[in-house]
Amino acid sequence: MVKYSYYPGNVARQSSFEVEDTIQPLCKTLGIKLVEIVGYNSDGGNIIKQGNKDLQLALNARNIALAEKNGHPIITACASAQGILHDALETFRTDPIALASANTVLSKTSGMTATADEITTNHLLHVLVDEIGLDKVEDAVINPLNMDVACYYGPHMQKKGACGGDDPWNPTYMEQLIKALGGRPVEYKSKTSSVGNPSLLSLGDSVMKMTARVLNDAKRAGAQLIVSACTLSHANLDSYQGKAGRVANMDTNIPAVNLTEIIAFALGHFPDRFAQLKTRAMIIGS
Amino acid sequence: MATVAKVWIEEDCITCDACQDILPEVFEVTDDTSQIKAEVREDGSFDRNTGFSAIKAEFRSEFSELIEEAADACPVEIIKFEYEAGAAAEVEEVAPAAEEAVAPAAVAAVAGADDGVLAPVMSGDRSLAIFFGSQTGNAAGLAEKTAKMAVNYGLEPTVIDMDGYNPADFSAHKRVLIITSTWGEGEMPDNADALWNATVASNPPLSNTHFSVCAIGDTSYDEFCKAGLDWDEKFKALGATCIEDIKLCDVDFEPPWLEWAPLALSKIACVDSSGTFHEDLLEAMIAYGAGDEEEADVGDFTPGKVEQDIISITMRIFRYNPALAESGYDTVAVALPGHASIEDALVAVKREVDGSLTFRSGSIAGQDPLTGVKANGRILPADTTRICDLVSDGDTLSIEPIPGYDVIKDLMVSYDRYDSERANSKPWLEADPRQGEKLISGAAMGVMTSADATMLHTLADVGSLQLVNSMSDTYDVDDEYAGPGIALQRWVRTQDPRSGAKHVKKMFELMQRKGGVWDEADISSIQRHGIDGSQAADALYEARARLLAEYKFTGRSGRLVKNYSRSVKMSGNVNETTLYRSVLGPLGLGSNIMNGVSLRMMLGFTRNGGPIMRGFQGMLVPPAGIGKIPNMFNGKVANHHEVVAIFNELDSRF
Repeated sequence: MVKYSYYPGNVARQSSFEVEDTIQPLCKTLGIKLVEIVGYNSDGGNIIKQGNKDLQLALNARNIALAEKNGHPIITACASAQGILHDALETFRTDPIALASANTVLSKTSGMTATADEITTNHLLHVLVDEIGLDKVEDAVINPLNMDVACYYGPHMQKKGACGGDDPWNPTYMEQLIKALGGRPVEYKSKTSSVGNPSLLSLGDSVMKMTARVLNDAKRAGAQLIVSACTLSHANLDSYQGKAGRVANMDTNIPAVNLTEIIAFALGHFPDRFAQLKTRAMIIGS
Repeated sequence: MATVAKVWIEEDCITCDACQDILPEVFEVTDDTSQIKAEVREDGSFDRNTGFSAIKAEFRSEFSELIEEAADACPVEIIKFEYEAGAAAEVEEVAPAAEEAVAPAAVAAVAGADDGVLAPVMSGDRSLAIFFGSQTGNAAGLAEKTAKMAVNYGLEPTVIDMDGYNPADFSAHKRVLIITSTWGEGEMPDNADALWNATVASNPPLSNTHFSVCAIGDTSYDEFCKAGLDWDEKFKALGATCIEDIKLCDVDFEPPWLEWAPLALSKIACVDSSGTFHEDLLEAMIAYGAGDEEEADVGDFTPGKVEQDIISITMRIFRYNPALAESGYDTVAVALPGHASIEDALVAVKREVDGSLTFRSGSIAGQDPLTGVKANGRILPADTTRICDLVSDGDTLSIEPIPGYDVIKDLMVSYDRYDSERANSKPWLEADPRQGEKLISGAAMGVMTSADATMLHTLADVGSLQLVNSMSDTYDVDDEYAGPGIALQRWVRTQDPRSGAKHVKKMFELMQRKGGVWDEADISSIQRHGIDGSQAADALYEARARLLAEYKFTGRSGRLVKNYSRSVKMSGNVNETTLYRSVLGPLGLGSNIMNGVSLRMMLGFTRNGGPIMRGFQGMLVPPAGIGKIPNMFNGKVANHHEVVAIFNELDSRF
């Protein structure tokens, strides 16, 4: 059993509770102990950074300090959260003044400080491939996916050091994972393109066009389903896919699920939900 | 018996005077070391001769035996020498008598294995003079490119404008390349006219010069390439040795130049510092120039390896034919040195496979901001990006035009959009008061502190602003967005202490309004594109923070930042329910209803197979309203007061 400090991100315990529903059982099955970061706060979503970057850094320093108290590396299921935590750690490691400033505030407000020296932050995807091993995942599959699946990574964690041993520009980890889960990954070119989630509420057409581009690419590549490694981007890909299709005048109808869901389904959790998903993907379409 | 062509002293001389005693005409022992006298050297210097200058020809046979004797007598074996012996020169330590019997070819083979077969030509003077006669800049451009290529052959090129050159100095060059166009009806270009006339009048002897000519012309003229032909004929008449036949280039001059340049350079690189052409080394030199052979540096410091092994890759190149409005991909298998640039690879494909392939090539030293391509998903300058940094042997390299700009043909895009935005926003220096006057502080216009200058330089230090625009995933879906490259320039102007207040205000207005910094949907998509992307992303964040302060969190973007921050302060986490309502407002929520967004949420599409009643909660329980339906109220995180204190400490606006 490997232990990680679990950071749910901004929405897994809010609007995207399906992520919380599924990450817990799948981790149990695969021998990953999720240790709660008691009192964790929002990472700022790169929204707070737009108003005050020091404030976002201090909020992340608090999460890092709490995780350091746990004594385990951080895991998250959201690509945005992974990217933001990675950036904060990089800043603290390369800019001692930024770390000192954040720690001054942290110490004053909570009595804690972050060292940011040894702790790492990881997306669930990279933990499964680099740490757990795809052979172990494959052995645990009960309900093979048996679908053509497009993998969506988004841009947030696709940078050197933030995506484990995967290639930031041409990632393949999720495709390898889908294969291990009994699915058929399809290649499409916009799998690391942004869907504009940080501006979902503030920008109109351009975010819808960005969303439609990804969905339409995936559909044209023959995917029956799109799986998102980014919990925030999932809102664009799913809730907004009809609007995106209309704005961009593109065919965008395709079931969109979070990565944690599809893993949990393949590992035998929530078979009723999986059955509904397969029905949608194969008969209804969306 | 072979004669010694070069002799030098390595480090750690113990100044025992043995060599000076044997041959005082060549060796002189100073306080620190033995040195090679100036009188016997071609370069006329007095030092240990670590530059490997040759011994003057008249002394070679006279001193060879004694040099060998001195080397033999040296107790620390630091006297090194190199035989002339035709093509079979060798770096030799102490010369044992037995080795005199070794045939030159065999010696060369041994030398090749141990010290590099090209050693006879790679030491000493490696200068190459590249003269250009140019009317419109084409020949000058080719001369620059030839110079870049020459370095691969171990040459030290100098590009020389014919204008103002003294023909008497021609004879100082052992290696000469001439690249010239022809002007009018067979005339010299303007910058070459005077030199031509002076050369014809003075007829300088060029018996120790090797040369080749690349002539640019137009076959529609009677006197095709006449200027180049004239130089070729004249140099031959003056005794120079033509090392590669003249190349006559028509208006599409690059392909023939590309045929000529590697041949001429590999041959002229086989001319040693004494002016002798080593034909037998030509094959090795061609391989060396192509990166097939490595030449290890001698000495304490070995610089990083520039040449990389040949890699075989598949290039998948986007093609677009505007006449037929057809697009697709060509797949080409190529083998190139890993250190070749993307542009080199494209040039090779154009030369060997399809001459119609169109792309922008760099025409200046360093990075050309307009050569960008999308290579395996990355936005990169084609002229300065090495292939080995992108792919390994057996991989596929996909090359596409950069996004955000109209494609003219194949990989060539139009930068009109960028130019137009830049012209409209004028993100250049406009100072108050007008130029020519002094600032209120009394300082002359244009003066600033070094700290300000450094700050501005750091802010704007990106290789290509056009490529920065392409790094944005928003730029190619939003025609009104000026792009992060333009935003960066506007931001820089607001930070420039020389900018006038009126101009700064205008820059802020442009950043705040439609097309400005808020039109960027996701800064992360820019940030991941290396140093340039990261630089532009930082500037966008800084600009947004400043604009929020200036414009008091107005507009949807301002409301988003304010309400997002406040919701985090209130509970420690985001409350999406209140965020949707406060940012979108009634109209936005109504739009979501009309567009089916709310319906998808309520019917459980967002939570595959999840409890549908969760979605209906939002309809039933105030104050959530309709929208994305998370928990109605956020529970506060443990030790929530710490989060509040962090906010209070760092930003009381929330």
